[in-house]
Order: sequence, then C-alpha cells, then structure tokens
Amino acid sequence: MNSSDYIAVARRRLALGDSGLIRGFTIDLPLFLIVLSLCAISLVALHSASDGDSGVLRRQGIAVMIGALAMLAVAQLDLRLLRRSVSYAWLGGVALLGLVLMIGVEANGARSWLDLPGLPSFQPSELMKFIVPLALAKYLAFQPLPPRFVQLLGCAALVLIPAGLIVLQNDMGTAILIFMAGLFVLLLAGMSLRLVTAGGLLVLLASPLWYVFFALEHQKRRILSFIDPYTDPTGAGYNIIQSQIAIGSGGIQGKGHGAGDQSRLDFIPESSTDFIFAVIAEEFGLAGALALIALYLLLLARGLQIAIGASSVFGRLLAGGIVLTVFFNAYVNLAMVVGLMPVIGLPLPLVSRGGTAIIACCIGLGLLMSVRASANRPSRR
Amino acid sequence: MTGRWQFRDFKAERALFIRRVALACAVVLAMLAVLVAKLVNLQVTRHEYYSARSDGNRLHVQYVPPKRGLILDRDGVPLAENLPVYNLTIVPEEVVDLDATLAALAGLVALSEDEISAFRDRLRRSRVPYTSMPLRYMLTEEEKSRVAVHGHRLPGVAIEPRLMRHYPFKELTAHAVGYVSHINQQELDALDEAEFENYGGTTHVGKTGVERTYESLLHGRVGHETVEKNNRGRLMRVLEHAEASSGSDLGLHLHHRLQIAAHQALGDYRGAVVAIEPETGGILAMVSKPAFDPNLFVTGISSRAYGELVNDAVNTPLFDRAINPYPPGSTVKPFLGLAGLHLGLIDYDFIIDDPGYFQLPGVSYRWNNYTMRTEIGGGHGKTDLAKAIYQSSDTFFYDLGHRMGIDAMHDFMAQFGFGGNLALDIAHARIGVLPSRQWKIEARGEPWYPGDTINSSIGQGYMWATPLQLAAATAVVANEGRMVRPRMLRSVDGRPHAFAKEFSISDVFIENPDYWRYVRDAMVMVGHRPYSDVFRDYGTAYEAIAGADRDMTYQIAGKTGTAQVVGISQSIRSSKDIQVSDLNKDHALFIAFAPANHPLVRPRIALAVFVENGEHGGSVAAPVAKQVIDAWLLEILQLDLRVEPDPQPLAPASEIAATRE
Repeated sequence: MNSSDYIAVARRRLALGDSGLIRGFTIDLPLFLIVLSLCAISLVALHSASDGDSGVLRRQGIAVMIGALAMLAVAQLDLRLLRRSVSYAWLGGVALLGLVLMIGVEANGARSWLDLPGLPSFQPSELMKFIVPLALAKYLAFQPLPPRFVQLLGCAALVLIPAGLIVLQNDMGTAILIFMAGLFVLLLAGMSLRLVTAGGLLVLLASPLWYVFFALEHQKRRILSFIDPYTDPTGAGYNIIQSQIAIGSGGIQGKGHGAGDQSRLDFIPESSTDFIFAVIAEEFGLAGALALIALYLLLLARGLQIAIGASSVFGRLLAGGIVLTVFFNAYVNLAMVVGLMPVIGLPLPLVSRGGTAIIACCIGLGLLMSVRASANRPSRR
Repeated sequence: MTGRWQFRDFKAERALFIRRVALACAVVLAMLAVLVAKLVNLQVTRHEYYSARSDGNRLHVQYVPPKRGLILDRDGVPLAENLPVYNLTIVPEEVVDLDATLAALAGLVALSEDEISAFRDRLRRSRVPYTSMPLRYMLTEEEKSRVAVHGHRLPGVAIEPRLMRHYPFKELTAHAVGYVSHINQQELDALDEAEFENYGGTTHVGKTGVERTYESLLHGRVGHETVEKNNRGRLMRVLEHAEASSGSDLGLHLHHRLQIAAHQALGDYRGAVVAIEPETGGILAMVSKPAFDPNLFVTGISSRAYGELVNDAVNTPLFDRAINPYPPGSTVKPFLGLAGLHLGLIDYDFIIDDPGYFQLPGVSYRWNNYTMRTEIGGGHGKTDLAKAIYQSSDTFFYDLGHRMGIDAMHDFMAQFGFGGNLALDIAHARIGVLPSRQWKIEARGEPWYPGDTINSSIGQGYMWATPLQLAAATAVVANEGRMVRPRMLRSVDGRPHAFAKEFSISDVFIENPDYWRYVRDAMVMVGHRPYSDVFRDYGTAYEAIAGADRDMTYQIAGKTGTAQVVGISQSIRSSKDIQVSDLNKDHALFIAFAPANHPLVRPRIALAVFVENGEHGGSVAAPVAKQVIDAWLLEILQLDLRVEPDPQPLAPASEIAATRE
C-alpha cells in the first residue's frame, strides 16, 4: 500500500453523497459521554489534589481536549486502513521503546519518558498498551479460531518483546498490563482455558522462587507491606495506610469537594496520579466511589457491546481486548489503592494526572468507535 | 492476506467469542464484588476508626508558652526583658543529613563556628526529643527571607518567632538577677505532672539568681491551641485557642544606677559590693566582679566560651563573690564590742594598755597586732573600745574575746545572721562559718583550743562570712537592733510583696540601747577622726572618707577589715599571667552605713565591700564604699543632708531613735 491509496480513501470519505452513503462524521455517543464523565471527575479530583495549582488543571484540561479530538479523529479512520498499518505501529512502538532505553528520561523510578526535540515529552509505553491488542487482533484474525499452539508462539513474541522492553524501563506495572492485554485478546479469540489455568498455576508456583531469587528490594517491600502495611508504617506501608485512612474517613457521603483533609494536607502520597481514587473516595465517599466504578462498568459494557456487534473478527478482538485492558487497568489501580493488591505503579485510566496516558487511552477508545462505525456500514468485514 | 479466504466457521467463532465475553463478565462482577466489599468495610464499617486516624494526622495540640514576667529594678527599669526575635531552629529528628543542612544554612545566614559548635554541644546534652533547637538567634530581615525562600528544601529547619530573654545590663546584673537557659532533661524530670504540663511549651528556665528563685512566679501558665498541620508540618489554621497567662512582673529593691555605681567603684579590682536598705532589708545593689554576659547563656553558650569562663582560675567570673565566704577580719570588731558591753565584760571606761601583742596566761606565743605587722611595730597605747574600733586594735579584742569565750561569742554573733542565711530569697547564698566548740568537733573532729578563740575575735581562723552576711549584720547595727532580713523582691505585678517569714527572726536585744550609739559613734570615727599629734589616734578610713572629701555633708559609720588569704590553689601559683605575690595580698573589707548620727535622716544604706587582694580595708575598700554611698544618698535619692549651723545643739541620739518609730 502506498500513500496515494490513503489519499484516495480519504478523498472518498470526504466526498459527500458518494454512492449514496453519508460518510460524514461518526461518533459513539454513549462511549463519548462516559469518557467525558470520567475526565470531568478527573478534573474535579485534581482540583482537590493539586492544592489549587492551576497549572496542573490547565495541562490536564488541554490533554483531555487533545484526547477527545484524537478519539474522534481515530473514530473516523476506516478499520481496514487501520488494520493495514498495524504492523508499522507495532514496529514503530517497539523502536520507540528501544529509544527510551537509550535516551529516555527517568521520573518516579521508571525510565519511561521520551523527551524528543520539538515534541512534548511522552511515554511510548502508554501507546503500547493499545498497539499490542491491535497487533494480536490482526495476527489472530487471519487464522481460523481458536488459535493453534504455533500461533500462540507468534502471539507470545508480539506481547513479550514490548513487555520485556518495558520491564527493562523498570515499569513493572505497565509491563504486566501489556501482558494482560495480550492475554485478553487471546482469551477472547478462544485460547484454551486449560492452558491459561495451567499457566496461572505455574506462575503461582513460580512466584515464591521469583520472590526469593529475582525480586528487587522495593518489590519485596511492597509485597510485605501489602500483607501488613504496619510492618513499615512510615516507609513502604505509608502510602497504603494513608490511602486507607483517606478512603475510610470519607464515609458514605464524603467530606465534600475541597474538604478532604487527607488530600488537602498532603497526607495522600501521589494524590494526583496513582492514588487519585483515595481523593475521590475521601471527598465524595462511598457514593462517589461507587459512581466512579459504575462508570467503568458502563465503559466495559458498552465496549463489549461494540465488540459483540463488530462486523469483523479483527474489530471484535480489537474492541474486546482494548476495553478489557482499560477496565483491568482501572480495577488494578482501585484494588491497589484500597489495599486489595500490592502497590504497582499503574494510574487510573482517564482520571489520574498525565497527558500521555489520557491521550493514549482516548486513542484506544477511538479505535472502539471506529469498530462501531464499521459495523454500522453494510457488509464490510 | 490470503488467510482471509480460508474456510472458516465464522458463526462458531462468534459464539465462542460471546461465551468468552460472558465468562469475562462473570469474572469482572466477582472482582467488583470484592472491591465493593472492601470499600464498604473501609467507609462504612470502619469509618469511625479512620476518621479518628485522619484527625490524628492533621490535628495537633500545641502549647502556647506564656510570656515570662519581667524583672524590674526599683525604678521600673527592666533588668530582664523579652525581646521579640526570629530564630532559626532545627528539629534534629527531622533532619536527614545534619552536616549538609548546616552547610546549606551557612550559605543563607551568618553562622559562626561558635554558634555551630554551641548547637552541637546542646545536641549532645540531654534534651526533649522532637523539639526544635535554636541554631541562630535574632535573624535579620534579609536572612529571614533567604531562609524562607530556600528553607523548604531543608526538612526540619524552621524560622520561629520567639520572645527571647535579654539582660540589658549584661554583666552588671549577671549574678544578682541570674539568667535563664535551655531547660534540660533533669530539670524536666524534677517537675511533677502538673508542672510538667505547664512547661510544655517552655524552652528556657531560670538557672541562677532571681530568675531561679522566682521561677514559679516568672513563668506563668501555659496556653493551648489546637492547630491543623499539613503533612510537612506546616501550620494551616488554628482551630482552638486557650490563652496563656503571662508570668508576674517582679520589682526588685535593686537600683540599676547603684548597681552601676558599685560596679564602677570597684574599678579593676575583683570583689563584691552588697548594699542593703536598713529600713526594709531590700538589697539595693549586689555586685560581684568580674562577671560575665548572662545573654550568652540564653542563646546557649559554646563549649569554648564556657571553658574560658570556667577555667579562668584567677578571675572566676562565674563565681558570685557577694554570697561566698571570706575571713571577715576586723569588720567583726563592732559586733564583738557590742557583745562585750552587753555581757558586761567591758564598759565605756574600760582601757587596756596595748603593747602591740597579746599573750595567753602561761603561754609564750604572742598574738601580734595583725594590722601592724608590716609597720614600725609597737601598740596603740592606752586603748578603750572606741579607739579599739577606729584604730582597729587587735590586742583589745584578743583580750575581750578570750574573756568572752567562744560560746558566748557564737551565740551573740549568730543573732546578726553570721553562720546562717537571713536572706528571704537568696537561698543559694552560702552561710560561711561561725565557729563554736560543737562546730569544730563536728566539722574537724577536734576540740576547741583557747587559741582558736583568740583568732576568732579578730575575724580570722575558722570564722568565715559572706559580703551579704556582713551587709545584713551592718544593717542591724544601723537599725540599732531591729532585725530586717535581706530580700531581693519588692513587688509583684506592681503590688508590694509581703514575705510570709518576715518576722520569724527576733530583733537583737542589747542590755542598754545606748551601747548601739556608742559603737555607732566609734564607727563614725573610723572614717571621720582626723590625724592628730597623738600617736595612732586617727580613724583607719579617715583618709578615704572625711579626709578625701572635706565637704562631706553627712557621716559614714564604718569599719575596715583586712583578711589573710588562706591557701592559693596550685593552678594559680603556676599561672604565668599574674604575679603570685598579688594573689597573696590580703583581702580588703569595709562595712558601713550612712547617714550616721544625722538629726533628721535615719540610715538609708548599709553595705559591705569586699576587695580581693585589695590589701588594705582603709585605703582600698573604704573609697569604694564612699563612692557607693555618695551615689545612693546624693545622686539617686538626692537627699539634702547638710545640717544648717543651728544654734540649737544636735538632738540627742535617743531622740533620733524615737523619731524612727
């Protein structure tokens, strides 16, 4: 495919009245509204967490706007076009991850930022969260499903290469998420459940070995402090203790916007990024927390609905994989903040502070809209 | 792209997909159930626990230290005041790297080596954990803003507004007023529970002098406030406030100008002056020289500076000479003369022929006339009590003391406060020694020998008295027996202070009140009897008093004293700084009260002057006394003491006494 094909397709889409089809603007309104609601919650929570620092709010607001535009732009893309460019996206993403390892910038212990001249600094690993399901969906869509064992090996390469590079960046959370994204696509494609169960058991059995021989010091501390935060209340257990105090003191109704003592007085660490749910649960209580969870559940429901209604195998796997990844990301973050899981550095999608994450997530959800749009067009598989 | 055209069962694939979606939904719902259960547990079941934890995070009850009471002189001039300052403080427990922090601060504010070493010294001493420790006092505005801008990068560092104790007269009041310094763990341990609470916000406590004696009055009651602090310890708002109540302002009898005058009068000598108001017992001046700057102790003195003060074996600036005992020498003679008269051992007509020495019957050892030892020898010739006082004849008192015996001498002298502490509020004053048979057995394990009595009768041997004791005893003589106990405190918050123990010691009773006047007149002659043709018949302080000031408008009753230096420490002997011969010189003493024998004005000041190695009471200590008395009567009280050349004769002493009541 060369560039003139793209131009031809684009020209076709822009031409009104072409073959009697209105190829105008396409949008999935329910999904769009859910995303905007989450972004609105993000801005409200950041207002509390950033202690009136208008710079933080402004940057997040701009990221939300760029994200919304990117989402709508991606939604307009023809799914077939998209499928053709997946290989390049995967290769480009892996190349960027390699670049990060060479010239990346470190922040919060993870060397995951790329600061290229002329571009705002961004995290290629965030984009990879959606490129991996794309790549897997494309790879699997060619074959009859369920996938055979040989195909699984190909999938493993597509997932493990970027995941490995991200592990090298010392960003365990994102690496796990990318692995899970791949796994979700495979599961939706019908991969043998016995295989998954066996793998899970293997991981479970191997984890003590990992803990003894391979786990890094800070990882051990995080796991120990997850089991009992009070073994090191001012160190590794501090975040989770303060987060639980914030959530618990919020009660059913919450302390009110701006009145969250824990967030207002800086007792919640990382209150604008990984622990932003603690701010929401403190200020808006159980009611607010359930509302937020309900939004993610709605997002999941709408995403799965789009996946089921997709007209192609590729679209189906892509939509299902992406929405499960986003939901899983949200769940892991919430479980970590309430103390159900050890602390791993995963932000809350669409809510935590961070421009790249928001824009990447919007692009991912834009893909969902594109899948939905292609399903609405007659007989296009 | 060929795979697309393979044969595929798309329906089955779609069914498989939907089954997997259903499975995912089931798993998701289970996971959400766990999450919601956890949230309910945190936010509903354990809500109260976490609310309390949240309040515990942010709410702090902090003490509001009370403002320490001022110490004022009798004119209301502050001797100890509170200056509002901004101090640079450090909570050592919050500092990550102390050396780096100190180095960073040295770039922001002027920090001397001394201040850093004083800070480290205090760090080593016992202290209350998690309290801020001052590093630099009195930041300038410029330093304050520099620290405010850069200080946030230095955990544990803060700028604290404080009221800092300040002694404007510095070394002039160092011993009498004392000083406050950092409260230490031992002092905190000594507090009972209520007191400990009251000292919650207090960093300094009175260590010496009035500051220590009246700590409980000066301190005040602590206040409380509930404040909200953020995670970095910054105060966000005050939620509750209970005012502290300030300590009481104390008015002293001390007069700052008399204190200055006494300090100046001592000149370059080491020594002490204690001046008392005979009517009230109020201490008008109490000077020990050399002294030190008490403000150094408020900010925490460095080891080096402290070492300099402690190791100065010659000047001993920390040593309060005013309340430490020395041999009183001949200044005891007026008291012994009164004892002789009172006990009937002598009368006005009693005369000895002083050959210049005294021998006990059957003993060949001669007690020489001590004051004559360097001179031409010989005695005072025919000597009565008056002459024995104004010429300071030892022989007369050797004889009198021998006949009186140590027991009678002890009992009589004790009435004037020798060997005890009459002072109402100078608890740390030493009591010296008023020897007796019992004392010697107990203290030395030896019996009393007759020769001990001879030495005691001229204020040598075992007898030791402080300048404070001498001044207080002199005030009793000025009062003709009426006991007034020395005291520093005059008023509390402007109201005159009444001591509970005021009248617990009885007046000194003398058989015939005229004896007081006789001794007083003899003491007047010490300073006012001029030279004449008669050999050795002048007052020993004439040259310093009436002889030096021909236009004197009033009379001073006084007594010179010279006391042998007893034992010089080896460290001083080996010192190269000062000639040892100077340190072997006698101590010079002078006690006095004035105006004496005035028709209208009763004595307004009684004092004792002690000059270390001053050699002669008459020529060195008496001029100091004269200067101090002049300053009090003429400059400060501005009394007109001139007696008009009146045709009427001076009122008899008994009438003057009558006007005193």
